[in-house]
Amino acid sequence: MKDWLTRAGMVCLGLIVLVALASVVNLAGDPDEIVGPRLAPPGPGYWLGTDNLGRSMLPRIMEGIATTLLLSSVAVLVTAALSAVLGIVAGYRGGVVNELIMRLVEVLYSFPAIVLAILVAAVFGPGQLAALASIVLVTIPLMTRLVRAAAVGVAQRDYVTAAIISGARLPRILGRHLLPNVAGTIAVQVTYALSVGIAVEGGLSFLGFGVQPPQASLGVLIQQGTTYMTAAPWMITGPGVVFVVAVLAINVVGDGLRDRFEPRQARSLV
Amino acid sequence: MRHRLLAVPLAAAVLVTSACSAQETSTTGGSTAKAGYVATVDDSLPAGGTLDVELPIDIGAATGLDPQLADVASSWQLMSLVYETLVTVGPDFAVQPALAASWENPSPTKYVFRLRDDVFFSNGRAMTADDVVGSLQRLLASQSVWRGQLGPVKSVTKVDDKTVDVELTTAYTPFLAALANVPAAVLPMKEINEKSVDVTKTMLGTGPFKVDSHRQDVSWAFGKNDKYWSDGEPRLDGVNVTIATEEAARVASLQSGKASVATLGNVDSKSMLAGASGVEVLSQATTDFYYLMLNTQVSGSKFADPRVRKAINIALDREQISSVALGGQGKPTGVTPTGLPGACDPAGLPSATAGAEEAKKLLAEAGATNLTFTLSIFSTAPAPAVAQVIQQNLEQVGITVKIEQMDEASWAGKVYGAVPATFDAALSWFAGYADAGMVTKWWNPDVAVFNKGFMKSDPALSSAIDKAVVLPAGDARTAALAEVCTKVDEDAQMLPLVTRPSTVAYRTDAASVGLYATEGYGNALRLIADFRKKSA
Repeated sequence: MKDWLTRAGMVCLGLIVLVALASVVNLAGDPDEIVGPRLAPPGPGYWLGTDNLGRSMLPRIMEGIATTLLLSSVAVLVTAALSAVLGIVAGYRGGVVNELIMRLVEVLYSFPAIVLAILVAAVFGPGQLAALASIVLVTIPLMTRLVRAAAVGVAQRDYVTAAIISGARLPRILGRHLLPNVAGTIAVQVTYALSVGIAVEGGLSFLGFGVQPPQASLGVLIQQGTTYMTAAPWMITGPGVVFVVAVLAINVVGDGLRDRFEPRQARSLV
Repeated sequence: MRHRLLAVPLAAAVLVTSACSAQETSTTGGSTAKAGYVATVDDSLPAGGTLDVELPIDIGAATGLDPQLADVASSWQLMSLVYETLVTVGPDFAVQPALAASWENPSPTKYVFRLRDDVFFSNGRAMTADDVVGSLQRLLASQSVWRGQLGPVKSVTKVDDKTVDVELTTAYTPFLAALANVPAAVLPMKEINEKSVDVTKTMLGTGPFKVDSHRQDVSWAFGKNDKYWSDGEPRLDGVNVTIATEEAARVASLQSGKASVATLGNVDSKSMLAGASGVEVLSQATTDFYYLMLNTQVSGSKFADPRVRKAINIALDREQISSVALGGQGKPTGVTPTGLPGACDPAGLPSATAGAEEAKKLLAEAGATNLTFTLSIFSTAPAPAVAQVIQQNLEQVGITVKIEQMDEASWAGKVYGAVPATFDAALSWFAGYADAGMVTKWWNPDVAVFNKGFMKSDPALSSAIDKAVVLPAGDARTAALAEVCTKVDEDAQMLPLVTRPSTVAYRTDAASVGLYATEGYGNALRLIADFRKKSA
């Protein structure tokens, strides 16, 4: 991966995070306030136009970014924590424990992401909790499998064997010897999971099962924008562009991290 | 009755809504509509063919296929293809003959109906006076919510094979209008009594169509009733109805030609489909109106204090709800639907003349300065938009509203499924019917019943409603209805908001449709017996 591309991705991601932070203090205005005529094109007072209720699109997009990013980030952190524990334990202990964990993960893996998300939404009811749980369940299988694969390799290293012989207890072996050595894998996967999380949130909210109006998320805004795509294209343009840029930026950054933590030589098959 | 309730009324009269404006003719889809219509059928087109229609909601599954128990407008609309009533409503809500060829009103408490000749149920049996008498008696003895609208019926009597008398205990102005809705339809009483037909599971009526198949919440197939009494009708051989809950799906079906006719909820449908080739969008004014329910019956209700309800009522900006959420296609209304003769002026109500400061003061006095509640809504457009404007309105006086959006069935279960109901507040709409007094009866829970779970009766209000409804049209009735409006405004357990627009779209290359300029019973398919299918 080119360094400049990674840097560009990080700049985009940084800007998106800044915009999300700015929305917390309503820098561009109240996202729920009715400020102008309905479906007004971009103009003074509402630089990205207004929606079907006369709300300015700019603060709504900013709120959408914050909502989507926060939901996805929290969910991915939960995923990372759970996957680290499950993957390392499965990789280190092997045997029945490994079988149980991996079969459970494979069951989750067998569901298409959006089907699993809808199932979760049916259980929890539409809302942020459903979106968060869905992202966790959708992202946990892949990350757990990769962490396990890394942990299997690390567990066979001499320093782990030495720790075992020296009488180190299990938590110490896992925490001091395995976790630091699979951290790179986790870091790389966290970025990929973040982009998946954004996509899942978008899909779920698009279908009406995720974030509920009037709160904005990228999925909610795209869903509303789709309805008015011909009459008010600005309603979908902003959130659509942000959505694509966010996912691309995160993936590019993820590729950069992968190159840093998992250099090509280590990933070579020969 | 529950959301989208029924309606109809009286003789008469002329609705003064925007639709009514149509004393002149208007042009739609390249054809000229008559006064009172927004679209008329092209009579030069040949009969035949099957029309594909898409609707957002099926009949209410909870009440099944029995028309007398049907309590939502979506049920009445579909059942009207099969069942008919003694009288019906025409343009501007004038009561017109249907299964009764004529009627007399020899005294304020007596109606004599002369039945039409050559009316047959779709099984080929001729309709008789016994069917009429039996149907009305069955309705009066049932648990139907529509009993409350029929009024003080004392007796229903067969005079001869073609004549039926109805005696009332007292004069009741909306009687004919109440007879015009599907729950008062004429049923095949012979078959019902013989138990050869179960009307809770199948439909057998005198209407233009019969049911060929039905899958709840999926589809209907209606075939032509070959024995239909009206010459040449129905023009269609059949109607296929698909239930498509998603607005986008209905729009896509119209654009692709999968559907020839569809009802839409988005108030911007007309502009959004302006560029769609061959698709015409019709807007119909209705007397239906949205209302906000504040649950006073649940334990620990946040709305038990009337000052809180009054504050909410004051804070609601009905003009903004109309202009923003409904794109200017609705109108603020009191409990008497705006546009109907005798309806009160919503701008003169106490809540409309008070300001936000008054609302804040009331909330402070009630100790509810940080009031937060959940507003339960169904997801069908434009309800979510209405709810979001309400949320904004109430935020201005410091009330936080959390919107809880769900599908129609889940919403109905939550709002009407338990006594006391468990929701905080909910949003829905009533059919406004054709008489300004009819819908007011739902503000008496002892009559309506469906709202007992979240509303307590107010004896003074109930008395005012009973007094106003029976009065003949005129200044006295207008004054009495104004008093009802004021009492409803002060009671504020169910808050009338804005009238509900209705939108029908069709493909000009596939169908020729007729639509009244005004409607009060949520029936966009009222004229479907005359619709034509255009050949490809």
